[in-house]
Amino acid sequence: MTHDEIFAVIRRNLIEVVPELAGSPITPEQSMRDLGANSIDRLDVVIAAQDDLGIKVPASELAKADSLGALSRIFSEYVS
Amino acid sequence: MKQVGIEALNVYCGETYVDVPTLFAARGLDDGRIDNLMMARKSVALHCEDAVSFAVNAAKPIVDALSEQERAGIELLVVGTESGIDFGKSLATYVHDHLGLPRTCRLFETKQACYSGTAATQMAAAVVAASPFPTTKALVISSDVARPVPHTYVEPSQGAGAVALLIGDRPTVAAFDWGANGFHSYEVMDTCRPDPEAEAGDVDLSLLSYLDCLKGAFADYATKVDGADLVETFDLLAMHTPFPGMVKGAHRAVLRKLKRMSPPAIEEDFARRLAPSIEYPRQVGNIYAGTVFLALASAIDNAVLDREKRIGVFSYGSGCSSEFYSAVIGPRSQRTVRGMGIQEALDARYELSVAEYDDLLRATAELKFGVPDFTFDLDRFPQITGARFADAGRPRLVLEAVRNYHREYVWLGGRR
Repeated sequence: MTHDEIFAVIRRNLIEVVPELAGSPITPEQSMRDLGANSIDRLDVVIAAQDDLGIKVPASELAKADSLGALSRIFSEYVS
Repeated sequence: MKQVGIEALNVYCGETYVDVPTLFAARGLDDGRIDNLMMARKSVALHCEDAVSFAVNAAKPIVDALSEQERAGIELLVVGTESGIDFGKSLATYVHDHLGLPRTCRLFETKQACYSGTAATQMAAAVVAASPFPTTKALVISSDVARPVPHTYVEPSQGAGAVALLIGDRPTVAAFDWGANGFHSYEVMDTCRPDPEAEAGDVDLSLLSYLDCLKGAFADYATKVDGADLVETFDLLAMHTPFPGMVKGAHRAVLRKLKRMSPPAIEEDFARRLAPSIEYPRQVGNIYAGTVFLALASAIDNAVLDREKRIGVFSYGSGCSSEFYSAVIGPRSQRTVRGMGIQEALDARYELSVAEYDDLLRATAELKFGVPDFTFDLDRFPQITGARFADAGRPRLVLEAVRNYHREYVWLGGRR
């Protein structure tokens, strides 16, 4: 699975949780916080995206992500 | 095996509160986030209150209601806190003194962030269960006073409060299910108090750890209790509530994951089984060690308890350690807890303006950790304390001075 595909999964889940973002530009440099997602929204997105990707990433690894791009890179290490 | 549980429960959440939407507006925070927090008010400690005075004020009505013989049966006093005042001398020593407990008593303090009160409660229950004497009781108090971090999204939930539990073999308030305890603990740097004045942490990591622990502790519970099911086994749930929105988010995430429930079914389940437990936390904020017991008290006071019901309790302390356990509560639990007047005391708090709140934070910060001598001006906020501390019906312990490191407290309102 490519980075772009993983990013698309995260992006789709983010829009599901924060529907106001539909139609807005969402880039790998941005963080969910920048995009207005609150802490519970962010939790929902990382859990749902992991479910969709069939992976389980330790919380301490996820916490290192400071942008959507960084989150997709962390996810990519766990996607077979 | 004795039936062990909570014989009496009382809460002390201070004399003052600040309105959360008002604080949001004053700080220029995005009010769209209020819905996420689900907070209405938060308790604020006075400059002359600390975790000791909070603990004593929570436990005093319970101790006063005991007979001489019952009081003599208290063989254990544990105070769970992350608001310690000395590296060696536990604050339980002061609490023991000001409650007039017998000297034939063990006393100490526990620390494991917000899990410390649960750790203390479970140790106390084990001591009572193992005692050959029918008179043995234990007093467990969870007491914390936040050091709010102004101008952050954490500030509106940083509260102050203490919950006292009398543990014994006549569990009028809640009977613990013996052996029904699941654990999940591991090292993680989510939130901490790295120095006496700071609270630090990573909210995202803490939410993820909380969720991992809820799943892990329940999974361990389910290995010990045949047929345990997170939805079917418990009529009610009470969970550690740093802010009610976090409980709602964790509940939603775990039911979606474990039970594949639809969003409307999850919403209905939350309203039915968890909403009663968040009512007091909504009005108080995070009180750390005591938060899970504030949620338990809230569930007992606010749920429909027309028969005996099983409640699942989840405690989480950053760092981290967690436990999922269960207890049986019923109409008698509700009569007993409502008799303590928790809601009435919350309603009777003084509403601080944001300017008064900031003044209070500055006054509280004047006492630095480790200062050998300090005298408090107990009349510094007469508009707040004047009438309250003159009320002979409501004695309150406050901190009057520190002399050669020794904290000196005084009762106001009652016997002075």
